[in-house]
Amino acid sequence: MSVRIAGVAVFMIAALYMYFGKQYSADFGDVLGPSVFPMVVGIPAMLLSATLVVFPSGEVSWPDRGHMARQLLALAILLGYAFLLRPLGFPLASFGLIAGIGTVLGGAPLKAVILGAIMSPALWALFDQVLGLPLAFFGYWFTQ
Amino acid sequence: METLTLLAGGFAVALTPLNIGLLLLGCFAGTLIGAMPGLGPVNGVAILIPLTFAFGFDATSSLILLSSVYFGCMYGGRISSILLNIPGDEPAVMTTLDGYPMAQQGKAADALAISGVASFVGATVSVIGLSLFAPLLARMAIYFGPADYFALYILAFVTIGGIAGVDPRKTLLSAMIGLMIASVGIDPISGIPRFTFGNYHLYDGVDPIVALVGLFAISEILVLLEKKAADRTAPIGITSWLPDFRTIWMTRWAVLRGSLVGFVSGVLPGAGASLGSVMSYSVEKQASDKDGTFGKGDPRGVAAPEAGNNAASGGALIPMLSLGVPGSGTTAVMLAMLISLNVQPGPLLFERQPDLVWGLVASLYLGNVALLILNLPMIGLFSRLMMVPTWALMPIVAAVSFVGVFSISNSVFDLEMMIFFGVLGYLLRKLDVSLVPLVLGLLLGGDMERNLRRAMSISDGDWSVLIASPISIALYVLTAVFLCLSVWLTMRDHKRTQSRVTEG
Repeated sequence: MSVRIAGVAVFMIAALYMYFGKQYSADFGDVLGPSVFPMVVGIPAMLLSATLVVFPSGEVSWPDRGHMARQLLALAILLGYAFLLRPLGFPLASFGLIAGIGTVLGGAPLKAVILGAIMSPALWALFDQVLGLPLAFFGYWFTQ
Repeated sequence: METLTLLAGGFAVALTPLNIGLLLLGCFAGTLIGAMPGLGPVNGVAILIPLTFAFGFDATSSLILLSSVYFGCMYGGRISSILLNIPGDEPAVMTTLDGYPMAQQGKAADALAISGVASFVGATVSVIGLSLFAPLLARMAIYFGPADYFALYILAFVTIGGIAGVDPRKTLLSAMIGLMIASVGIDPISGIPRFTFGNYHLYDGVDPIVALVGLFAISEILVLLEKKAADRTAPIGITSWLPDFRTIWMTRWAVLRGSLVGFVSGVLPGAGASLGSVMSYSVEKQASDKDGTFGKGDPRGVAAPEAGNNAASGGALIPMLSLGVPGSGTTAVMLAMLISLNVQPGPLLFERQPDLVWGLVASLYLGNVALLILNLPMIGLFSRLMMVPTWALMPIVAAVSFVGVFSISNSVFDLEMMIFFGVLGYLLRKLDVSLVPLVLGLLLGGDMERNLRRAMSISDGDWSVLIASPISIALYVLTAVFLCLSVWLTMRDHKRTQSRVTEG
């Protein structure tokens, strides 16, 4: 069933891709124009995904609710890191990331917090001080 | 003779102090990454590419660093296959068959030394082959016109999934998703933004490196989260690190056979290192398994696949360097490295940047020497590092991935993009869709379109130009043969499993 749904999804995406791709046009200098290649890719993609809907292959075993909840939690932490990296600065944001992901992955929370507390300043020192990649120690929430 | 001079030049490049330092550092870091659970060569290199970038080395040095990390990862993967019975990567699967039983019998040091020596010999054979054949192929490739390149890319997409792997439709769809993503951004020929939906972050297109890190490193975290937090068994202890040299000498024919078989299967499209090690193992088993010792800790069963896998990964460099078309997952990652370093592989690479090509070849060679020397005394350290629990390792991997991607452009949008690709990679992996064709589509999409459009402007819009030259016709025939073969094999496998189900 999952393969069928994925086939439908890819079919829809390829159809939308072709719908938007058809509108691009250039008037001069280019024989083929910017819209032909999307057709060259989109048509076989639609055909192939359609065959996956009709003749699916393979079975997928999705994780149970508990594991899926952990995956969603991990995703939320990753996204949170992306949004908070600038406001908080690298060490604080990475502390949250390491402690959070470590706990979600099954580490003891206290140990994960200690790991984060050690590793986040260590990584900052490694990248910013030793290797010369500029990473803000404090984000703009603290400096403004 | 000319090749030898060039190769000597390559060694001169690789032997500068900076490059030797990078080589040793790369081998060490790579072995560490490869020996750790949940990190293989592909995600190891993917995480390190953006960082290498940020340090600002020249292309040759970066390439030397990354390829020594790559080889180090492969070696580290062997440590975990022999001591833990967990293959670090796909080609190492065959090594577990005889390597783990050997370790159980207390011959872990022998097994590790054999795999080191066999890899070294395999790499030597493939470097010799590469030096001989790659320039020939590059000279031939000069005759390729735009239409021929278009045909070549199609062949690459069809063959990348391998011959008897999963459903070929899934592999092709994966490549097409990659091609679709590659066409996002400003069209370089007409200057029209495509599929950007007014988001100016997308005008530059999707950075393949961001996609690569997301697809491989972030999706790995999601895959790990659905497994039960099983405790890893402790690795088998090593009693002495000094191997028995007579055992190593005993495997000499297995090593040579394995190297040759591996090299040939590496050059073929769509094969790569995994097939190289499988083929070498089965050939060796047929040739010398007279007492039924294979699978129970026969040293030759460790030597053959290890030699084969290294010879194949060297052999797979031939189409990648001379045509710009990778034939395996390994070389696809290497191509991503080259493109991100602004080096366009292909026939002209040999003329314009011989330093880079031969420096890379020389460093592959030296990397194997360094690994051989470095690893024997340090196996104890690496086997202790393998005990690092996953919950402590993966968050740090995530933090390093974020730093690497963030350092490319300092944009939060790239971080979000990386997470998006992580989810995409996870879903595709669950659906049994290989990610390598997607990466390949993303990497080659721009060039494929440019070549198609160039061919069409030469012919003034006549589509028959695509099948006008003998080279492109030959490539299309090859593509068709390969497609038929893989569809037939999949159908046969499918029928077999079906009948097994009804029988059972």
